[in-house]
Amino acid sequence: MSILETPLTHERRPARFVAFALTAVLVLGGLTTRLFAMQLAGSPVSAPVPAAVLPAVEAGRRVMTEPVPSTRGLIYDRTKGLLVENVPTFTVSVRPADLPLTQRPQVVGRLAGLLDISATTITETLDGATGSRFDPVPIAHDVPQQTARLISEDSLTLPGVEVAVEARRDYLDGSLFTQLIGWTGSIDAAGYASLKSQGYLPDDRIGKAGVESVYESTLRGTYGVREVEKDGTGRTLRVLSTTTAPQAGNSLVLTIDAKEQRLAQQALDWGLKKAGLKRGAIVVMNPQTGEILAMVSQPTYDANLFSRGISTADFQKLLADKDLPLINHAIGDIQPPGSTFKLVTGSGVLADKKLGLTETVLSKPYVQLGSSRFYEWNQRGWGPLDIKSGFAHSSDTFFYQLAQRLGIDRLAYWAGQYGFGQKTGIDLPGEAAGLIPTDQWKLDTFGQAIFPGEVLQAGIGQGYDLATPLQLLNAYAALANGGTLYQPQVVREIVSPDGTVVRPFTPKVIRKIAAPSWVFTTMREAARRVVTSRHTYNLADLPIVVAGKTGTAEFGLRDKNGVLPYHNWFAGFIPKGAWKKDNPTGDVSKPDSELAFAVFIYNSGTLGNTATEVAKYYLQLHYGITKDYRLPQLLKHTNFYAGGR
Amino acid sequence: MGVLRVERDAPTGIAARVGGVAWRDFDLQLFVYAVLLATLGLTMAYSNTAVQLGGEALQGGTTFVRGLIWAMVALVAFAAAAAFDYTWLKAFSWPIYLVNLALLVASLALGSSDAASARWVSIFGLQFQFSEIAKILMIVVLARYLADREQRLDSLSAIVGACLIVIPPWVLVLLQPDLGTSLVFIAVLAGMLFMAGASLRWLGALAVATFAALPLIWTYVLHDYQKERLTSFLDPAKDPLGAGFQLLTAQKAVSSGGLLGAGLTNGAQNQSNLLPVQATDFVFAILAEELGFIGCVVVFLLFAALLWRILTIAWRSRDPFGLMMGAGVASMILFQIAVNVGMVLGLMPITGIPLPFITHGGASLVSIAIGLGILQSIAMRQHRAEW
Repeated sequence: MSILETPLTHERRPARFVAFALTAVLVLGGLTTRLFAMQLAGSPVSAPVPAAVLPAVEAGRRVMTEPVPSTRGLIYDRTKGLLVENVPTFTVSVRPADLPLTQRPQVVGRLAGLLDISATTITETLDGATGSRFDPVPIAHDVPQQTARLISEDSLTLPGVEVAVEARRDYLDGSLFTQLIGWTGSIDAAGYASLKSQGYLPDDRIGKAGVESVYESTLRGTYGVREVEKDGTGRTLRVLSTTTAPQAGNSLVLTIDAKEQRLAQQALDWGLKKAGLKRGAIVVMNPQTGEILAMVSQPTYDANLFSRGISTADFQKLLADKDLPLINHAIGDIQPPGSTFKLVTGSGVLADKKLGLTETVLSKPYVQLGSSRFYEWNQRGWGPLDIKSGFAHSSDTFFYQLAQRLGIDRLAYWAGQYGFGQKTGIDLPGEAAGLIPTDQWKLDTFGQAIFPGEVLQAGIGQGYDLATPLQLLNAYAALANGGTLYQPQVVREIVSPDGTVVRPFTPKVIRKIAAPSWVFTTMREAARRVVTSRHTYNLADLPIVVAGKTGTAEFGLRDKNGVLPYHNWFAGFIPKGAWKKDNPTGDVSKPDSELAFAVFIYNSGTLGNTATEVAKYYLQLHYGITKDYRLPQLLKHTNFYAGGR
Repeated sequence: MGVLRVERDAPTGIAARVGGVAWRDFDLQLFVYAVLLATLGLTMAYSNTAVQLGGEALQGGTTFVRGLIWAMVALVAFAAAAAFDYTWLKAFSWPIYLVNLALLVASLALGSSDAASARWVSIFGLQFQFSEIAKILMIVVLARYLADREQRLDSLSAIVGACLIVIPPWVLVLLQPDLGTSLVFIAVLAGMLFMAGASLRWLGALAVATFAALPLIWTYVLHDYQKERLTSFLDPAKDPLGAGFQLLTAQKAVSSGGLLGAGLTNGAQNQSNLLPVQATDFVFAILAEELGFIGCVVVFLLFAALLWRILTIAWRSRDPFGLMMGAGVASMILFQIAVNVGMVLGLMPITGIPLPFITHGGASLVSIAIGLGILQSIAMRQHRAEW
């Protein structure tokens, strides 16, 4: 046996071997030359470092500039009671450039255990970050202090992980002001892209609802810049200097009175609970200025849920709720206003001189129009009525005939004068414009002219008419002050951090309604007669001079008994001196009211008008009347019409 | 006279019993250079770990202890690959290719639903990077393909075929996303085609086409942060406290090394913990700081000797597969040295390619050990017993 080489089965190419070997020699030789130059010859390694940062680099320190967040402005109610606080919280973030890829699995795993977040979520957050690798990516907000301390003391085994103290908004009354104040949350990618140029950071927080969002630029202030020294793991060793000091944001003083807000909510919650309902709104305003004193929308939710970072499950629950808690129903819900709208029809027909002040119109069981009959709500009629008694009885056939006299376009004109069909311009997000039909609108939308029957419906706030509770309130506020339509406002003053008023309150007039003042006096007296005639019998015995109008507005589809579901409305006002210990001196003929209100109850289905009961209870609480005038038996459910319409 | 395989009971000696191999042909030099390089790597791991954790460096879970465990695994992998008759690899190359693709797809799927970034997969608590193993598997498959077409490599079709084989795993690696490893794939492909004797004209044309495509890739494929990393080496002083910081610190560490270096664990940049990824991609900077110019030259000489042994084995191989394996492993090691050390010395962009043996990464070491094991197997199987 001998050992031989196996035969060569391919062609050898010495030239290629030599070329490869030469390449290797060149590479290693080149690297050695470079090393020689750097280590022994002391030649400069790269372009010179700018003189400004040279000391830092030379000293082996890692100096970075970082933004210093400003203190966000606070929010007060009109009595200067604090509604929102900034509380310090700990945020854990990761700076990807400082986290070696080889250690990432271990670091992510440890963080997941410490923070009680799944490793997948952390990895996805890191991979989903769009900014530079030198920008910290927030992993968890509102970390308990003990965990934060554990993480910051363990920076050796958690390279690239940073713990920062940041301010979180704490909404002191939880859900009471949510729809007004809103909340702040983490800026999203789209928001960051558009706000980057204004100094926003990828991990910034931003107002996302309510005045927090509308007044974002006022509240935010200006971020500062400072220089800090860091080690390789991203841990801040010390602050070197503050280049630009941050400027705190300005604070807001709301027009809202926290006490009135609380009473309004108490009244609304009582009415909804007794009637077994969830959805409604109450708004209270000073008709002389347009200042909103209280605005409650139910259902609501705790704003702190969002400022602390809401869980997906909680958010899904809010989204899925059929009573739409995320919507401010006082300004974002558009519904038929029903009989409350008769204010517009009545004012219009008087101002246009289509009806004399004492002229009577016959209220009948129904109005015949072609083959259709438009019935009185009690199906009997009230006989001859003038404007005040027609309004007091809320006679449908009376107002059908007034609407016929006005025609659809004049009706729309007067609705527009009162602010219907247009946003009020309140300084809150999510306001709806509502709808008032005109002939042209019907043509544009449905391609045909308005039907005569639709004119009748429009005259009593049904058909196409849609309005928000705030629009209705604003119309009755204009009635109460003698014809001036103010723009409602929820922020009274803007105050600088040192307490100086930067922007004082000024009422904003939308328009003077183009009707003579006697029209408003007449309609105010008519609104008072609604109560004194015992049409709205549940207010009649209240020792407060209150004027207003109920509404029972049909909507949606008929149930199996052929009955339409309906909302309850009440809009009204009280003159000055409306209550003095059972001896009220208020006089509705004067335009001196300082308190107007509107209540909306969605799909009430109750025997009596729930909205009126809520308004009554609110007034009772407002004046601190100890005797209880509430009639909870009226809030039972029924499937037939009762109470005022 | 016939060439036969040795019968099981014919030769004597322990070595001969394992597949009838001439263990006297075991290339001891190849083995020794590799062990020396790996030892240097472990020494640097110890230096890093000791600086960070002091006396706790020898406790479980530290970079150093994990490195020791991986070195043992690599040794076993090397021995197994050397004992295995490489001629069987040729038969298995297509199954290996499919396994390779499956591993990459699995690491994409597993990785994204598990703790880490897609390129890491956890096995028995040790993190494993499949793309490192994919490099070696890719070399095996390409070696088989090119060996089969050894006489036809002046045609374009064989070159295009080789490219087509590389593209699927290359895309999977790029998706992870692992830009560095994907570049190694290209270097290995180029090196193997060149050594296989592929037409220089076609290779040149391909190279020109690739360079022409670079602006398109720059504009449409790369993320901003990748561009930032790629360009910061050109002028690290432009952003000395941000993107250029790693480079400036690395260069400072290298410069301060001088002739003899500061000595292990004495490096100022090592101690200051200023290099964010000193334990991995920038470990050569600490080596240069602590072992000096002499230490670096020793490392280079060891690499040169290793490459020389690999090329020798390739040259001596009696069949084209052995030649191709040698070419592939040598290309891989040379490219990684050039890019990693070049990066530390400010000559190359930051890409995250490990320095063979020195960078502390288990998969990288094991994959090189397998590659060298196969070469060892080739070295030992060029003689046949004859009666």
